[in-house]
Amino acid sequence: MNVKLWIIFSLLFLSFFIINSCSQRNDDFSIWIGGSPEEVDFWEKVINDFNAKYDCNLILVSQPTYTDQRKQSLIISLEGKQPNPDLFLMDVVWINQFIQSDWLELLTGFAEKSKFQTEPFFKRVLNLVDKYDNKLFALPVFMDVALLYYRTDLIDQPPETWGQLKELSLRIQKEQRKTNDSFDGFVWQGAQYEGLVCSFLEFIASNGGSILQNDSVKINSKENEAALQFMQNLIHKYKISPENTYTEMKEEEVRREFQNGNALFERNWTYAWQLHNSDDSNVKGKVGMKILPHFNRHKSVSTLGGWHIGMSKYSDNKEKAWKFIKYVTSYEVQKNMVLTIGWNPGRKDVYDDEELNKKLPHLKTLKYVFDNTVSRPTVPYYAQISEVIQRNVNNCLANKISPSDALKEIEIEMKNIIKIYGEK
Amino acid sequence: MERSKTNISGETKTAYLFNAPLIITAVIFVLIPVIGTIVTSLMRDVTFLPEKFLVFENYQRLFSDRHFFESLQFTLLFVVVSVSFELIFGLAFALLLNETLPFRGFLRVVILIPWVIPIAISARIWELIYNFNYGIFNYIILQLNISDQPVSWLGSSIGAFAAVVVSDVWKTTPFMAIILLTGLSAINRDLYKQARIDGTNFLQRFFKITLPLLKPVLVVALLFRSIDAIRIFDLIYVLTGGGPGGSTSSLSIYAFNYYVSGDFGYGSAVSVIVFLAAGLLSVLYIKFGKFRETLQ
Repeated sequence: MNVKLWIIFSLLFLSFFIINSCSQRNDDFSIWIGGSPEEVDFWEKVINDFNAKYDCNLILVSQPTYTDQRKQSLIISLEGKQPNPDLFLMDVVWINQFIQSDWLELLTGFAEKSKFQTEPFFKRVLNLVDKYDNKLFALPVFMDVALLYYRTDLIDQPPETWGQLKELSLRIQKEQRKTNDSFDGFVWQGAQYEGLVCSFLEFIASNGGSILQNDSVKINSKENEAALQFMQNLIHKYKISPENTYTEMKEEEVRREFQNGNALFERNWTYAWQLHNSDDSNVKGKVGMKILPHFNRHKSVSTLGGWHIGMSKYSDNKEKAWKFIKYVTSYEVQKNMVLTIGWNPGRKDVYDDEELNKKLPHLKTLKYVFDNTVSRPTVPYYAQISEVIQRNVNNCLANKISPSDALKEIEIEMKNIIKIYGEK
Repeated sequence: MERSKTNISGETKTAYLFNAPLIITAVIFVLIPVIGTIVTSLMRDVTFLPEKFLVFENYQRLFSDRHFFESLQFTLLFVVVSVSFELIFGLAFALLLNETLPFRGFLRVVILIPWVIPIAISARIWELIYNFNYGIFNYIILQLNISDQPVSWLGSSIGAFAAVVVSDVWKTTPFMAIILLTGLSAINRDLYKQARIDGTNFLQRFFKITLPLLKPVLVVALLFRSIDAIRIFDLIYVLTGGGPGGSTSSLSIYAFNYYVSGDFGYGSAVSVIVFLAAGLLSVLYIKFGKFRETLQ
């Protein structure tokens, strides 16, 4: 009796696993995408159209909104050599690690076989992030840069240099504070997270500085120290950026502050533009945008952001997956993407589209900014370097350590990281 | 004689059979992962580098890693401070709820509310309370003119530490209170009546009757809470993310950051330390709580 019961239970247990692993059809393949609900809705539509057009069975698996969580789930599946996901979107800073971890399928062969052209894409971007050893591993789906947003009702002429930004902020902040206590000159991302590395890189690169060049650490330089000192001064000396810059200010906090009418300048990604001009915005029609300022005698730059599509090496449906990559990066889908969710196309030729330029005049500015991007260090151990930069720069912004000490500390820790992970 | 022997072994067999699902589950979900983590901690398991057996290199790296020790220090301090507060408040609530109060049943349910709210959600609630611009703390401070400037609660290491402790105490005091309450209700009421006749005061009764009789339950509650606190992750992950400047990064957060960046070997080494610390703590509690004696 006992034995019989045991056999029945074991069989039930086993069949549960068998059913679970068989429930997927053979020709199914999946793509993992996360983001805001509107974004996921858009992708659902794209995927339905694709399935109808090519008679495929691509399944959308939606991921969390947070970038770190998306990366985490991808790492677990890929490290476990799972056949799912077949396709996924990657943040630009992951691509190098994914390539060097041997997780990405080489796309060069597929491209050659189907006579796929890479000319319509931004060459600078492909070379910076999508190619490794001149081999193609990913393609840009959506690109992003940071911009300076300003209030056209408060100033006539936007600043060209950081010095001018400071002067304007001091003057306007003083005027505005008479009626609005919480008005700040300049809001930007300074909390301890990935966004801080982006702002930091823009400040130092617009003073001619850099973090890493060809595996040698360039962080502890005069240019970087001056730039970091300026960042600290914005909060503690000039007091034109609020105290919570280094504790709370991420993209959305910054956007809300500006959108509520509480700031003159804002550093943010391109997504803020449409939201600032939406009907429930306090600053609708009073917003201008341009490339970020620079220090004297140097050039404006912006950190390159965005999402690229890649194919898993462990995918069991590579031919179909390639079809989808081609579809997503096609002119029509890319154009549709900017029209529906306001994402900036990864293809350069879409920016010259007449209809788009009539509807979205800001695209012209963007095309110029894309040619002046800097990329965060493209090394597989970027996550470790980023953590070191975030922690030390954040400490410096909190006024706990001086800029020169922060940079010295970053240099020591970065060299240590390269010693551990830099082995070829 | 022989008959009864076979009977006992038959009973034992059935007992093992009944326990089998639990044992199998524990092996699959506890023992194997623990062994796996220990093995991984001896390897160089970095996604973008070839795998290599390192023996103790990860641990050597750990002992020269300043941030690991900062993280360890934070975690231990957090355990001591938060569990102490939870004990004090938990005991106070338990004593209070053990008295015959009006609406006692209702109050016993209400006190559980913080405990049943998922941690991620309560962490988000506290984050809004501490918020610089919209938070209620800053609103109160400004309204009462305690300060003319809003305070950046999560902005300093001390502030963030206090914020994490407060949120954790708020969240887990009910757990402590309920466990202690069960212990209290098991104490024979006649003992108190007798002591009262003998002319003792409240404090004497508390230290001579309540505390000694509550001790077994107290040790269990403290053990649970301390082990829970030493591996704290979710509350900090949502509330401060380990900031500012890594000052609230608990050991679990520290290990997690290495997993996410692709270094499973080093992350596992940190996890093994958490495991050892929790184990050591349990041993200490059981030894100094004289658990065995009280059980017998």
